[in-house]
Amino acid sequence: MSSTKPPAEGTLRKVATFAATLGIGVAAYIAIAESDGGAAACLAGGGGCETVAKSSHSELAGISVAAIGIVGYALLLGAALLRGDAARMAGFGISLVGFGFSLYLTILELFVIDAICQWCVASAILMTVLFAVNTIRMLAYVGTEP
Amino acid sequence: MNAEGEREKRHEERLHAEADSEGRERRQRMIKLASATAFLAIAVLLVLIVVSQLSTDGGDTDLEHTAEVRAELLGLDQDGLTLGKPGAPVTLVEFGDLQCPACKTYAESIVPEVIGSKVRSGKTKIEFRNYTIIGEESIPAGAAAIAAGEQSHGWNFVELFYRNQGFERSGYVTDEFLTEVAKGAGVPDIERWNADRNSRRVLAEVSKTRAEAEQLGLNSTPSFAVEGPATDGLEPVESSFSAEELEEAIERAG
Repeated sequence: MSSTKPPAEGTLRKVATFAATLGIGVAAYIAIAESDGGAAACLAGGGGCETVAKSSHSELAGISVAAIGIVGYALLLGAALLRGDAARMAGFGISLVGFGFSLYLTILELFVIDAICQWCVASAILMTVLFAVNTIRMLAYVGTEP
Repeated sequence: MNAEGEREKRHEERLHAEADSEGRERRQRMIKLASATAFLAIAVLLVLIVVSQLSTDGGDTDLEHTAEVRAELLGLDQDGLTLGKPGAPVTLVEFGDLQCPACKTYAESIVPEVIGSKVRSGKTKIEFRNYTIIGEESIPAGAAAIAAGEQSHGWNFVELFYRNQGFERSGYVTDEFLTEVAKGAGVPDIERWNADRNSRRVLAEVSKTRAEAEQLGLNSTPSFAVEGPATDGLEPVESSFSAEELEEAIERAG
């Protein structure tokens, strides 16, 4: 029997810090682009970003989904920077919510809005990375010394 | 000396066992805490999804049957006012008027059966064409459906309109009503839909399909026509009083 050694916690925290910082950048760009009634620029063209931005799904109870994203990524950045079990648990819990909500939004894009926004896809990928990293961190290091 | 060595060894073993036991207990406590965190996270996620659904899919309108229409059309391709696989060998065309009560009956009890049996299987696609014979209000209603179709939600609009239809020519087809239907149907960009439905291009499209229906010799709504490998272009369906008759017409055309 052989067991794979998990990556060092320091490495996991660095990856999470990097992904959360990028996530804040992506969400902030979408929020700023949408703030004056516009939309993020789709680099490959196609107008998907505009369709998604103007969709009723771009807001949640009147709050921009991009703004909610900024808050989520900021909390994940905080969890990545802090040591200890509370940070490990918080990182796992918040990234689980973020990952699930990103999955839900991607399903909406594919089957309800019928348009794909590259920036939303980028955010979904970052949230998937954060969920994976935070899950490994929680499983491998919770209950151990910081 | 030997006895003392034994005692020390036992003492060390006990210390190790206590440390192991403490470590195991700590891990178990943490696993319980992680499970509680996961449970809480999933609960928060579900709340977010429910709030999102309520604030978009008709939850902010007074319309009925939004969820039913969404379920009926879920996963089916839409292109303009055509529902189903683009490569389907047969095309069934419904010439309808959104104000027509008989069309509403068909939309509720006959068309869903055909969608379930022939459209989902990829045998046929269904196209809705406006045949505006009830009154003036049918024209903006038809244009609104075409504009929704340009955002791939045409059938959601048509089906939701029928299910919330008022008395014909009673004046219920207002901008507010049409906007409610478009929102309930999930049309992504309401601003663009508004501009499109009032454009000359879309209004001309409504008149064009009416002329096509008249050329086919149709004189009532809903009327159906079918086109496939075994037909000579678009041919009217002689009898379409049930889903079975429409399914037979599709089989003959294919």
